[in-house]
Amino acid sequence: MTDIILILVGAILVNNFVLTQFLGLCPFMGVSGKVETAVGMSAATLFVLTLASACSYLVFQYLLVPLGLEYLKTISFIIVIAAVVSMTEIIMHKTSPLLYRILGIFLPLITSNCAVLGVALLNVNQSNTFAHSVFYGFGAGLGFSLVLILFSAMREKLTLCDIPEPFQGAAIAMITAGLMSLAFMGFSGMV
Amino acid sequence: MPASLPVLTLLLTPVLALLGLGLLIGAVLGFVASKFRLESDPVVERINDLLPQTQCGQCGYPGCKPYAEAIAAGDAINKCPPGGETTIMQLANLLNIPALPLDESYGQPEIKKVAFIREAECIGCAKCIPACPVDAILGAPRFMHTVIESECTGCDLCIEPCPVDCIDLVPVQTHALPVRSVEELNTEETLACINCGLCVEQCPVDILPHELYWACRGKDLASAESLKLMHCIECGKCDRVCPSSIPLVEYYQATMQAFNTQQNDRTQADKAKQRFELHLQRMEKIKREEEQRRQKRAELAKKGAQSQTRDTILAALERVKSKRKPN
Repeated sequence: MTDIILILVGAILVNNFVLTQFLGLCPFMGVSGKVETAVGMSAATLFVLTLASACSYLVFQYLLVPLGLEYLKTISFIIVIAAVVSMTEIIMHKTSPLLYRILGIFLPLITSNCAVLGVALLNVNQSNTFAHSVFYGFGAGLGFSLVLILFSAMREKLTLCDIPEPFQGAAIAMITAGLMSLAFMGFSGMV
Repeated sequence: MPASLPVLTLLLTPVLALLGLGLLIGAVLGFVASKFRLESDPVVERINDLLPQTQCGQCGYPGCKPYAEAIAAGDAINKCPPGGETTIMQLANLLNIPALPLDESYGQPEIKKVAFIREAECIGCAKCIPACPVDAILGAPRFMHTVIESECTGCDLCIEPCPVDCIDLVPVQTHALPVRSVEELNTEETLACINCGLCVEQCPVDILPHELYWACRGKDLASAESLKLMHCIECGKCDRVCPSSIPLVEYYQATMQAFNTQQNDRTQADKAKQRFELHLQRMEKIKREEEQRRQKRAELAKKGAQSQTRDTILAALERVKSKRKPN
């Protein structure tokens, strides 16, 4: 039980995928304009991350290792992730068409979200057990959601503020992200 | 031959493994896709709910629903003059796309108007009644017509069919207080809000005046409402302590007015939508009945013609018989 809590705290705060490991920056910048959208994206990514880390563990342990094909792990993980993303897409198109529309290209782009592949590969590298892999993925998703939602809430406030012209748009977003990253450095060495 | 076998397995195993993986995933995806098949697009409904429902057709589509469908398929959101800036902002917000200024080639944004029939001149031709998309014109052939003002959307579709030009569009009387708009207030030179919080201590109804100010300034009505805009009693205490002398209460008044207008427009639009749907049903029914009546008449005419010819033949035979009898 303690190890699972440690994994979760480690993935969410200490080694946050976005702010400390700099993975998954594309949706972090791209869909953080509105809190509502960010929550949708977070939910989708959380779902994909958890499911993808479980599936890629199974594929690695029960398909690649017995056949001695460990060197195929990257390509097969990409296939697994792409499948999970397509599945999420189909389900979301049915259950929440508006969110599907708003997320647009960023939804299929979860496939190329490096946090997702990163978690799958890190799981193999750290030779985690099945439960640990799933919780590592879940924690990474929670960490991603946390910073994405915080960041989008800040950007929503920023749109109403008097920002000097050269800093408007992406520039102030980058600065904000940098400051958030600095704040998250405070967690380092906790686990 | 034995030397090539390991090479073959070396090649075949990964290929088969990936193929198997692909097949398995394909099967799962196919199952999910058939399970979550999409029937209709609910996005259209959401867009339609934001349109003003005047059914005026200025966007180039025959009504608000077709335009909603076009927007869902990727058309521009700035073709609705009656909706104006508010509708464009709401659509942009819903679809998460940048708001555009109104495309004025589709018409100018106008103040709200309603149709008015100069009753002395009306000849009771009833041509305007089917033209009204919301059935707001009351009347019958050879009787004077009049417009139900509360139902009229000011779409001007009744003007064109009127043969004697007795319909005018008159501006709606509003009794709103003259308040400066947010745009006007934004151009006023004041010092910036420094979030000092002096106004918060003053507010007797526990609003956060500085937060509310930012929402009003950005015309974010939803945020303004959630920041308790409607709790403001306009006492002006925040105004008096503001070190940057921002006209806070004026901002709140302007936003309240915008908020109320939006709410009124919304209820009006919902009503118009309902009436438009009923109008369509009614027109459909009239057309169907007309068709049935025409068919019946045609049948009757055919039958009548047949029986008439038979009668004439019989009568002629009778006449011939009666002529022959005496012989």
